[in-house]
Amino acid sequence: MELLITMIANFLATDGALLGAGIAAITGLGAGIGMGIATGKAVEATARQPEAVGKIRTMLLLGLAFAETTAIYGLLVSILLIFVS
Amino acid sequence: MHVSGLLAIDFSHLADKIFPNIEDHVIEWGFFVVNDSVFSGFIVVVALLLAALAFRLTVIRHWKTTPTGPQMFLEWLVSFFDKSADEMTEKYSGLMGPYTLGAAAYICCGVLIELFGLRPAIADLGACIALALATFLFIHTLGFAKNKARRLLHYVNPINIVTDLAVPVSMTFRLFGSILSGMVIMDMVYILVEGIWYIGLPLILPAILTPLFTLFHAFIQSYVFASLTLTFVQEAIETPPRRQKRKKKAPQGAASLPANT
Repeated sequence: MELLITMIANFLATDGALLGAGIAAITGLGAGIGMGIATGKAVEATARQPEAVGKIRTMLLLGLAFAETTAIYGLLVSILLIFVS
Repeated sequence: MHVSGLLAIDFSHLADKIFPNIEDHVIEWGFFVVNDSVFSGFIVVVALLLAALAFRLTVIRHWKTTPTGPQMFLEWLVSFFDKSADEMTEKYSGLMGPYTLGAAAYICCGVLIELFGLRPAIADLGACIALALATFLFIHTLGFAKNKARRLLHYVNPINIVTDLAVPVSMTFRLFGSILSGMVIMDMVYILVEGIWYIGLPLILPAILTPLFTLFHAFIQSYVFASLTLTFVQEAIETPPRRQKRKKKAPQGAASLPANT
């Protein structure tokens, strides 16, 4: 038991940053779901009202940029964890 | 780092490429310590100024009523930004149109310089902070110029201070992160492709991936930056609603209805 704890502690001390980088990449999950919902709704809106496609496109791009931000934060954190140590 | 014989993949230079801290990518002249992003930034600025001068001397000198070629492109570009500035910020579109066009041109060309093998100018935190602070300045200068002291009412709710201060931070990291991630992915592809030299893949794979991660990226990020700037300015200059007077008592017939309908 003690050996296991020591092993885990050693692992966290040496390669813990890589584990953290992997966990930080999970932010992509939320961003992906959000962007998927946004795109689906935009397609629905376009199908319902094809003449409003220009307005819908600008709004969609803005929303996608906002949703993408969280994924980019996760990516930055993981890159920092891997390369800056 | 271990290098196998068949796949000669060596990622050891990637760390220095991403966050430069070895002499290869850092120029140090006394107090002047910069990485090579700054020099690509200078090159981009000079190229943009020369392009503007060339357009001024050739296309605008021979302005025609029936546009052809370059004049058509120029008109489309300018009217695209002017029109969206007109829609969002009615009175200040003369200021915001040129600013968004300039920022978008700088971001776009600063990323596209990666195609020449240089480090993109935007993959540096300083450039992103500068652009985001310029936007921040525009938002609050125009907000106070339009609404004067009434804008201070906006800060009665202290959450709004945090929201306003988060805008430049989030714009900085959005731009920096997306450009840096594009650069990292392309660098990884180049390193991988160097290792698999024997199938002819080095010619095909980068040619497919470069448009995805560099070209689209440049246009989308510059468009997003411009439209986010316009959105925030529009939000700042809209007149705050007057406090509504309490409604008079409803007439007899409606009084029997529940209060919240």
